[in-house]
Amino acid sequence: MEILAVRDLTFTYPECGSPAVKNVSFSLERGEFAVLCGATGSGKSTLLRMLKRELTPVGDMRGSVSFCGTPLAELDNITSASATGFVMQNPEQQTVTDKVWHELAFGLENLGTPPDEISRRIAEMASYFGIGEWYDKNVSELSGGQKQLLNLAAVLVMQPQLLILDEPTAQLDPIAAADFTATLKRLCQDFSVTIIMAEHRLEDVVPVCDRLLVMEKGSLIASAPPAEVISGLKGRSDILCGMPAAARVYAGLGGMGRCPLTVREGRAFIESGYGNSARALPLREHGHSDETALEYKNVYFRYERNGRDILDGLSLKVYSGELFCILGGNGSGKTTALSAAAGLLRAYSGSIRVFGKRLKDYRNRSLYRDCLAMLPQDVQTVFLKNTVRAELDECGARTDELPYDISHLMDKHPYDLSGGEQQLVALAKVLAAKPKLLLLDEPTKGLDAAAKLNMIKVLRSLREKGITVVTVTHDVEFAAAFSDRCAMFFGGRIVSVGEPREFFTKNSFYTTAVSRMTRGYYDNAVTVEDAVELCSSNGRKEC
Amino acid sequence: MRSFSEYNPIAVTVWFFSVTGIAMFSSYPLLMVMSLVGGAVFFTVRNGFSRGREHIFFWVLFLILALANPLISHNGKTVLFVMNHNPVTLEAALYGLNSAAMIVGVLYWFRSFTQIMTSEKLLYVTGALSPKLSLILSMALRFVPLFSRQSAKINSAQKAMGLYKDDNIIDDIKGKSRVFSILVTWALENGIITADSMEARGFGTHRRTQLRRFGFRAADIALLAASLALLGVTAAAVGSGSLDFMFYPSVSTAVPDKLGKAGLIAYGALIMLPIIIETEVSLRWRYLRSGI
Repeated sequence: MEILAVRDLTFTYPECGSPAVKNVSFSLERGEFAVLCGATGSGKSTLLRMLKRELTPVGDMRGSVSFCGTPLAELDNITSASATGFVMQNPEQQTVTDKVWHELAFGLENLGTPPDEISRRIAEMASYFGIGEWYDKNVSELSGGQKQLLNLAAVLVMQPQLLILDEPTAQLDPIAAADFTATLKRLCQDFSVTIIMAEHRLEDVVPVCDRLLVMEKGSLIASAPPAEVISGLKGRSDILCGMPAAARVYAGLGGMGRCPLTVREGRAFIESGYGNSARALPLREHGHSDETALEYKNVYFRYERNGRDILDGLSLKVYSGELFCILGGNGSGKTTALSAAAGLLRAYSGSIRVFGKRLKDYRNRSLYRDCLAMLPQDVQTVFLKNTVRAELDECGARTDELPYDISHLMDKHPYDLSGGEQQLVALAKVLAAKPKLLLLDEPTKGLDAAAKLNMIKVLRSLREKGITVVTVTHDVEFAAAFSDRCAMFFGGRIVSVGEPREFFTKNSFYTTAVSRMTRGYYDNAVTVEDAVELCSSNGRKEC
Repeated sequence: MRSFSEYNPIAVTVWFFSVTGIAMFSSYPLLMVMSLVGGAVFFTVRNGFSRGREHIFFWVLFLILALANPLISHNGKTVLFVMNHNPVTLEAALYGLNSAAMIVGVLYWFRSFTQIMTSEKLLYVTGALSPKLSLILSMALRFVPLFSRQSAKINSAQKAMGLYKDDNIIDDIKGKSRVFSILVTWALENGIITADSMEARGFGTHRRTQLRRFGFRAADIALLAASLALLGVTAAAVGSGSLDFMFYPSVSTAVPDKLGKAGLIAYGALIMLPIIIETEVSLRWRYLRSGI
């Protein structure tokens, strides 16, 4: 049965020359799981908002959207509110009430459902999602992943037939994101809910979806099962850069046969198609300077007197001029370590030295002048003004000295920029203080693949300028692609350090998709480029 | 098997306001003593002896209030002594003691009340009045801490970027005011998304109902009825004037008639209700446990 049908949809925002969505037509059957991808600004969010009447933006709209055969405009209020559920990107901002149970009840309360019915439905939902344990908690006590699951559950209690999700996992760490995706897949299979989801973290979601929709500049350029879409677009590296690693290896090698999507399929693709007589790439010698930029020596820190140690004897040396990357799971203390180095938190024992000088010897905030700067995880907290220009003028940043171009953003409000643009403007602001040591907390959070590649370029050019960069991240693919050395953080200290190719080959679970795909077949392939290089040097097997 | 604080919040609220209402609208000294002692004992029974600081605060306040009246008010016939050419009278001293007992007693009751009425009980009670009011309260309860957390985040982000250049107060204030102005923008921005999320979930399509997390059981109804009945008797006694007490110009009181005596006993019983419930619960529990 056709749940959603979009015919020749064109939409133009007021006072905008070109339409944000151009001639889009597609339809979704009951129980279909569709993923919508495309670069930032390609019109994904606008399209999704057109599918839910309450959120349809103001502007000039042509074409039609119908739900179960009825045009959206003719649906009654209650069906329109309950039959399509919408989950947005930011987990915090879309929650309405202070308690988990109240958030679950919110939608049903709005529809005037009798109280006993509400109790039954949210009890059911809480049991299905395993929310029971945090049912009585405050929403603010939940982790990002839990909040997003709560948002999903709060929409599902209204028993929607169509779920629309706008980049729901962008703000989550990889484990929470994978959980979230798995939950969606389960919903689709157990209840044949129809799902359409915009996403740029495609590694987990593309292998499980039924249909991949690709948007470019407002038009829909592909709509088919994922393997077919990727085969069709294998020349377009700008679109493919967010796809699963197996698919990128396939495209990088010219794309013969069926496109692999998962690690398992990727391994089969490589082992059946390419030899392994040349097993390893040469190890890059990483020569570091002798000067230490940042040094932790037996650092202990806890937030509360009777709490547990968050930093538990942390010792680490970062050399000047390095791109250093700290990886680790949620709650392992990575961010705390960074905040301690930035002087925001005070360790109760041990010492932290920045360029050989103890933190407490930097008096009168001289630490933040020409020495160290930190970019927090939530870049919105960096902005204080109404335009980018005012923002940069305030701190005396010169755009011509930056290794990248942001001149086209100067007159916009910082909150209106995309995640990647915000990151670049925030970085420009931080660089104005001319730091020699830059601390970055999750710089890839919420960025699409193209913005990540750009970020890698920017970080490399900062190294050329002699700036030391210490990055904390969950994102193993990103760490493998840009860092000089990586460290694994666990239980409040560093458990292993190494040059990325060696580091990720030694890890067998916490490592990149390519490393998992080629383990035992090649010795040290870590990134997609490594795999492509090794495969092509070995050549195709004759079969 | 519920302790008093687990009774239906509406019944508990009615009980609290009965106890404090009588204390606030009467000035009969025996009622004040009952309220003060009852309030202090109730608070101590709930918290043990761990809240020393709060007790000290309440009793220091009691002393200040009791002493302030005779020093400021010079009404009354019986002059005890003259200080700085002003007479200090017995009546003013007694009046001071009486009103201090009233205020501190009510403060003790409200301290216990805020401990018992967690935010969701408060929502339940306001929801019974109006579901919309309850929603606004719930959103405010979420938003206030959210605002202060964001403010702390922005401040530390700005600090690590060198917004506060020098370590002095003027620079700090300048920085803080800039942070405040962007916080307002952030709150509005946040509000738009929250509003979208509310609308997407059907806010405003229908008259709101409210999920009830607390039901009325027989015991709740009994508590409610008992509170109202005892309140009625006491209020009748206070209202009819049989518990009038005059401090000025000299202390004079009507000898309580039957209604007055009934009122005093009813107020005593009202204050004893939680203790009766707790005792009943613990006795029953002991009996049930002996059978396990």
